[in-house]
Amino acid sequence: MANDIKISIKNLYKIFGPTPDVALEYVKRGMNKADLLDKQNHVLGLRDINVDILDGKITVIMGLSGSGKSTLIRHLNRLIEPTAGEIRLDGKDVLELNEEQLRQLRREQMSMVFQKFALLPHKTVLENAGMALNIRGSEVADFEQEAVKWLGRVGLEGNEQQYPHQLSGGMQQRVGIARALVSNSPVMLMDEAFSALDPLIRSDMQDLLLELQEELQKTIVFITHDLDEALKLSDHLVILKDGEVVQQGDPQDILLNPNDPYIVAFINDINRARVLRVRSIMKKHVDNDAEYAGDISERDNLETVLSRSGGDTDKVFRVVRKGEMVGSLCMKDLTRALVPTGVSTPNNHKG
Amino acid sequence: MATYDSLFSALGLKEWCAEGKQDGPMSMADLLAKAKGDNAEPESLWDFPFPSMDVLNDSCAAFPQSRELTKGLEQGFLAVKDNLSLVLDPMTQPLSWALDGALYGMLTVPWWIIIPIMLAIVFLVTRSWKLVTFVAVSICLLAFIDYYEYAMQTLAIIFVCAFLCVLLGVPIGIAMSRSDTMQRLTIPILDMLQTLPPFVYLIPLIFLFSVTESKLYGIAIILYAIVPVVRLTNLGIRLVDKDVIEAADAFGMTPRQKLFKVQIPLALPNIMAGVNQTIMMSLAMVVIASLVSAPGLGVLVLRGIRNLELGVGLVSGLGIVILAVILDRVTKASLARINASQNQ
Repeated sequence: MANDIKISIKNLYKIFGPTPDVALEYVKRGMNKADLLDKQNHVLGLRDINVDILDGKITVIMGLSGSGKSTLIRHLNRLIEPTAGEIRLDGKDVLELNEEQLRQLRREQMSMVFQKFALLPHKTVLENAGMALNIRGSEVADFEQEAVKWLGRVGLEGNEQQYPHQLSGGMQQRVGIARALVSNSPVMLMDEAFSALDPLIRSDMQDLLLELQEELQKTIVFITHDLDEALKLSDHLVILKDGEVVQQGDPQDILLNPNDPYIVAFINDINRARVLRVRSIMKKHVDNDAEYAGDISERDNLETVLSRSGGDTDKVFRVVRKGEMVGSLCMKDLTRALVPTGVSTPNNHKG
Repeated sequence: MATYDSLFSALGLKEWCAEGKQDGPMSMADLLAKAKGDNAEPESLWDFPFPSMDVLNDSCAAFPQSRELTKGLEQGFLAVKDNLSLVLDPMTQPLSWALDGALYGMLTVPWWIIIPIMLAIVFLVTRSWKLVTFVAVSICLLAFIDYYEYAMQTLAIIFVCAFLCVLLGVPIGIAMSRSDTMQRLTIPILDMLQTLPPFVYLIPLIFLFSVTESKLYGIAIILYAIVPVVRLTNLGIRLVDKDVIEAADAFGMTPRQKLFKVQIPLALPNIMAGVNQTIMMSLAMVVIASLVSAPGLGVLVLRGIRNLELGVGLVSGLGIVILAVILDRVTKASLARINASQNQ
């Protein structure tokens, strides 16, 4: 299951305007976004996107507004049609589906969670959660059990008969997530799902998503403009700028080796200690020789380790995964990893 | 000799003009002009006439006068009238039946059944005892001054016409919301229906149908009152939150499911606002339609005007106001209930 490619996006272009095909030629010859708008009066949405989305992982697509991230996610279930390129789900070309097949795909393969929740205001929480099944033809009695189960799972037990407007934003988005889960689709598309929530609730929701993901192992494509969120959630991070991928890969890796000033500007603002995890800077070995100050999990962030160490840079911790030792972390390395990185100094801390 | 003689001679149309020379019937204005003898050219630029059909006719007899335009229109209408009524008559016959049936029903069923039924309906749609009391008092007041029969006739006509307006208007509105072409084609017609003076509706209808048939005023009322429900259905569906529509698409709804599960329910507040307007406009038109034999309070208003019966006119006018207030409050209250159940 792990590391299979679930969705593969190849050479994807999207140009908005009256004659995108003509404009596409200019773009392929290298015209940039501003020139295209000036001279051709077309808007470049996406340019040559190549992303592989791994099965059972969270792929986060990050970028500022206007970078094309929402456009990109809408290509996956063809809410927006591409100008050129291909999108394959389990090896099958999504672009070749006819209307009925596409509807089938949206019903059974991909569910979506929206920034503004997009719940049906005239339906109860229960009916909203069961929307996907209702669309496939089930009545309330048929999907009730399933819907109640997932609503309970996202922490909305007892709210089934309320209407969306009676709930807070965070609770509404929980309904949105439950709705996506009830559809039981292997792929979940989340379009800035937590951006409209206040920071505390957002953090709760991120934890909820990670917790669910641990159990369900869905293929999640998550869109955000928030780097902290991206780093917290992602297994694979794709950074978009002006419709192009600037860098993609393991988020920890991107943080330690940014290849673009744009990304450097981004990551300068974040709390590295909270985002970097032990596994990306530890030394990998299994020999249990030296003296260790304690055990830490490879998934702990550096902030946790810092507080465990009490600021003592001489300590060395043993790193464990599920009870077994996988390496060690020296506090000196940790301190070094906290030094901000520049674009031109590839500073690889991996032991 | 007239002002534009030179124009026709310059164009070489003199002969063509002369052919048209005939002593047709003269208009009053022509006669007066002839009597005064001022058929000469204007003395100054100040009096220079606009080259209208009549002025050009002065210079060239073959040129048609403007009254021939209205006459032509009339003749054209009369020519197609028979064929038109051949199609329209059977099509609209159910309307006559519905109106006659409703009038008959409202008047034959005794008041002590009709009034409780109406109050029950008011309670069902508004759930407000205050409104029920208000309606009860108003209707009893009208009945007490012996206007019950007229008020019921008016109400019966409004119910039938407003119901048909909704039945026809909502699908038209839905079609408009789904196709921009349809919207472009329909909006001018709606604009025309809305701005045409209410009396004008009656003129072609009198030619098409017999004045003794109830569908005559039924059609006039429906044409006049259907506009708001069409417009607001279209608007309501177009205003449905784009995010919710996108969610419906993303979860794979068919266009049909989208319409019935999302668009119509979410547009319902707007559609109901349109129904409210439609009912109010039917009431306005039912009064005017008394000119073409629509029964009800309008007949009394007309009597007030024709026979200068001031009291009758005023009281029936007041009766119409009371009906208007009842209809408006009841539909608004049910609209408020819909709004309350789905504000976001």
